Formats: sequence, C-alpha cells, structure tokens
Amino acid sequence: MQGMIKLDPLAFIKSILSSPSGKVSIKIPSEIKYLRKASSKILSALEGRNVDEGRIFDIKLCIEEAVRNAMVHGNHFNKQKIVKIMYWIGGDTLHIEVEDEGSGFEHAAIVDPTDPTNITKNSGRGVYLIRKLMDKVEYNDKGNKVTMTKILNQRGNIVCP
Amino acid sequence: MPVKIGNRNGLTICYVEGEIDINTSPDVKKPFDKLISSKTPKIIVNLSKVTYVDSSGLATLVEILKNMRSYGGKLKLSNMSSKIKSLFEITKLEKLFDIVADEEEAISTFV
Repeated sequence: MQGMIKLDPLAFIKSILSSPSGKVSIKIPSEIKYLRKASSKILSALEGRNVDEGRIFDIKLCIEEAVRNAMVHGNHFNKQKIVKIMYWIGGDTLHIEVEDEGSGFEHAAIVDPTDPTNITKNSGRGVYLIRKLMDKVEYNDKGNKVTMTKILNQRGNIVCP
Repeated sequence: MPVKIGNRNGLTICYVEGEIDINTSPDVKKPFDKLISSKTPKIIVNLSKVTYVDSSGLATLVEILKNMRSYGGKLKLSNMSSKIKSLFEITKLEKLFDIVADEEEAISTFV
C-alpha cells in the first residue's frame, strides 16, 4: 500500500481511488499541507446536495481534526507513514474513516477539555469537537481508526446525487 | 497579514481575517505576541471576518488570553459568527473568554 504514495507534488492526486461500491479512498503523507486537500476533496462530493453551511463547517472541521490527530499522534509526522481516509455517502449520510499507521490510542482516556481544570490546556479539544459535531463516532479496538458519520440533511430526506 | 491593528477610544482593536487554524495560527499569534510584550492593557479582538476556527485556532486564542492575564491584561472577543460562537459554547470556552456582541459593546464595557 505504501508503495502507492510518492512524496512529490502529485502524491495527493495519485492516492485517490474510487471503488464500485462508491467508497473513495484517499491516502496522504503525514504532512499538514495535505490536510486541506483531503477535506476539500470530501466536501466537493457534497456539492449539489443542499447541505447547509453549518453542517459543511462541522464536516470540514471534523475531517481536519481527525486527519491531523492521525498525522500527529498516530504517525508522529513521519512522512513515510500515510493517513488513509475512506469516505462514502449512503442515502443521506456521510461516512468518513480516518486511519493511521500508529499503534493506536485509548480515546476513552482523553481528558475532558471542558473540565475547569483542563479548560486552558490544549489537548483533547479536537477529539471532543468530533464527538460533539458528528452524529456518530466509533473507534476500532486498536484505536488507530475512527469512523465518523454525519447526517447531511436535517429532515432526513433522501437526497439524490 | 491575517491581523490588522486599530485603535478606538484608546483601546487596541485587532481585526482578524480568514481562518484561524493549524496553518494560520502562528501568523495570527505574532502580532498579539508584540502587543503582549509591550503589556498592552486592553485588547478587543474583532472576529467578524473570521470564517473558520479549528482546535489549533481555539488553542491560539487561549494562549493569547493566558499571556495577557499573566500581566493583568484584559481581552474581549467580539463580532463572532454564530457558528464560531457555537464552538466556544460546545467547548465551554465561552466561560473562559469575555465574549461580546460587537465592538461597541466591547468598548462601552471596557471604558
């Protein structure tokens, strides 16, 4: 898998794959410069679906928080390690998986950043925002993959592509 | 430069533009570091032109606030969009910061 990634300016483009099931896989090196490209690619898939601006904001934020966490805490900014992002839309729901090559983390052990004793500390806020802004958040047992789900339309209507 | 600095009624007003995120946070923080090094007593941060804030951006604002408080400085955030305000509410940072509706309210409550 890693062999597919070349650390050149086209690395991002080379790493997008679509499957017949509609799942799109993006693989990016652990560099911040690819963060926005990944979120933009996913958000572009929502164009024409009448997703309101608030939800677009939430989705963008959660993608970037999850991918950044994968780069920082999972891959420790090792450029040779990739972050794998898979997304698909089922009916009116967006699913996004973000996976790193790290040994995983105990997400339940993250301190509550809203606790008065932690409020001025700068850790755990990204994970907390993901939990609050997405409709469903699940981690694999290893702790190196998060799956986020967001309903795209408030009324739950099926929106055709 | 994502931060323009103005002055009204003797108060320093920082107009931040664009996004405050992992990429822009260092540039956003720089002008505040200068104001803090000269112990500017009162700063209003006008966020009307800020379109996006991530956890790095929130951390940057927390850092600025902590640095100001270290010498008794006071900071007010104004003109937040409803979406960005909701991030402060969700993270309970609204309790840490002095958030006001607009510049006028910031000035009237500062003077």
